[in-house]
Amino acid sequence: MNYKPDESTLIAYHYGELEGEERAKVEAWLEQHPEERRRLDDWRDTRAVFGRLGDKEVIAPPIVVGDNHRSFWREGYVRFSLGIAASLLVVVVAARLLGFTAVYREGELRLGFGEPAPVQATLSEEQVAAMIQRSLQENNQALQATWTEDRKHLEDNIRKNVLSNSERIDQLVRNVSQGQQEQIREFVSQLQANNLKTIQDYLQLSTQGQKEYVETLLVDFSKYLQEQRRQDLQYFQTSMSNMQQNTEQFKKETEQILTSLIGTGRSGSQRVY
Amino acid sequence: MMHAEDLVTRAREGDAVAQGKLMQAWYKRIYNFGYKFFFDHDLAMEVAQKTFIAMHRHIAYLQEASRFRPWLYTIAVNCCREELRKRKNSRAVSLHDLRPGNDEEDSRTWEVAAHRDDNPERTLRQAELADILQGCLMQLSDEQREVVIMKEYEGMKFREIAEALNLSENTVKSRMYYGLEAMKRMLERKKITRETIGYEL
Repeated sequence: MNYKPDESTLIAYHYGELEGEERAKVEAWLEQHPEERRRLDDWRDTRAVFGRLGDKEVIAPPIVVGDNHRSFWREGYVRFSLGIAASLLVVVVAARLLGFTAVYREGELRLGFGEPAPVQATLSEEQVAAMIQRSLQENNQALQATWTEDRKHLEDNIRKNVLSNSERIDQLVRNVSQGQQEQIREFVSQLQANNLKTIQDYLQLSTQGQKEYVETLLVDFSKYLQEQRRQDLQYFQTSMSNMQQNTEQFKKETEQILTSLIGTGRSGSQRVY
Repeated sequence: MMHAEDLVTRAREGDAVAQGKLMQAWYKRIYNFGYKFFFDHDLAMEVAQKTFIAMHRHIAYLQEASRFRPWLYTIAVNCCREELRKRKNSRAVSLHDLRPGNDEEDSRTWEVAAHRDDNPERTLRQAELADILQGCLMQLSDEQREVVIMKEYEGMKFREIAEALNLSENTVKSRMYYGLEAMKRMLERKKITRETIGYEL
């Protein structure tokens, strides 16, 4: 038997809301599945424990219940319609009291208060066109006159400015040329003075330098001669000293030879005898 | 159970007395539904009052008097969900949550339980158990809690619950199935059994 009740069927069975064949099938399935039976017993115990959670005592507050039926005059659409009607009535009465008039004549709607004012005679299109034309001509003439006067005034101003500027430029050129001649003369004179001073300084420096050079040369030559004499003297002394030593050496050697000869002659004579 | 169809019929026709009687008959049930849903006296009172104000306004549109109970619970559930949304948005703390401990004299639990039993120790244990069980209910999801309360404490048929919640019967049964399994596991974790309760109480 492959029947297995789903969770909805099982819970409905547990709460006793399963009838007929379905209930029998579940009971048969539970007979074959004791572990599922135990699960349902656990549910029963769980529900028994949670059943200890009782109700709280509470007293219903007094609520004043009003009339539930709304009268015809309190219905929304009736009140809306009445509001519009009352507004229209107020407008009509106010218009009547203020003498409001509305006149539609010859495609024209006129709204106003009191008697309508008489309509004044109006100008024809030709008259309006002629007025506009005349006004334009007058305006053009005035503009032309203004432009001519402004142009003349402008040309006079330009001419005056040109003359004035030319005079100023000539004066400036003259001033510049005069200033340049004076500057050149002053520069040349200053240059000549500088050259003269430079040559004088050079000559002075040259004479003094030659003098110092000759003096230095003489001093150096004097020092050279003195040094040369000192070295010659030393050389001479050294030569003399060597000569003396050689002489003494020669003297000693001669004495030794003579001594030796004398000694040799004495020993030969004794053997002859 | 507490209402007769003719009372509902008269209330639908605008009978203020019949509407008042309906409210008196159902106020405790709706209050307790709200209390078990929120575990909060103030919110339960709010839900009950809003439910009966809505009942007064709309009962004329109730099609069949025999469907008064699921219709009334539909209103109550909608009020609960509205309060739930408000509470989630505002994160307000009810004064009832800040009530004194159960061992203090002005405890509501003590007051309510005192009417039932004269044995103080038993009364205290009863109140503690009620708080534990209510806490377990609060651990269920909102959808499971609605179904569990309607089934276990309001005694409604699955068909009525489905009608009240505008769901299919299978969906309601499925929520009840998983809710009951969750409740069983919670009791196992807390080592609370039918026998231990009977022994202690």
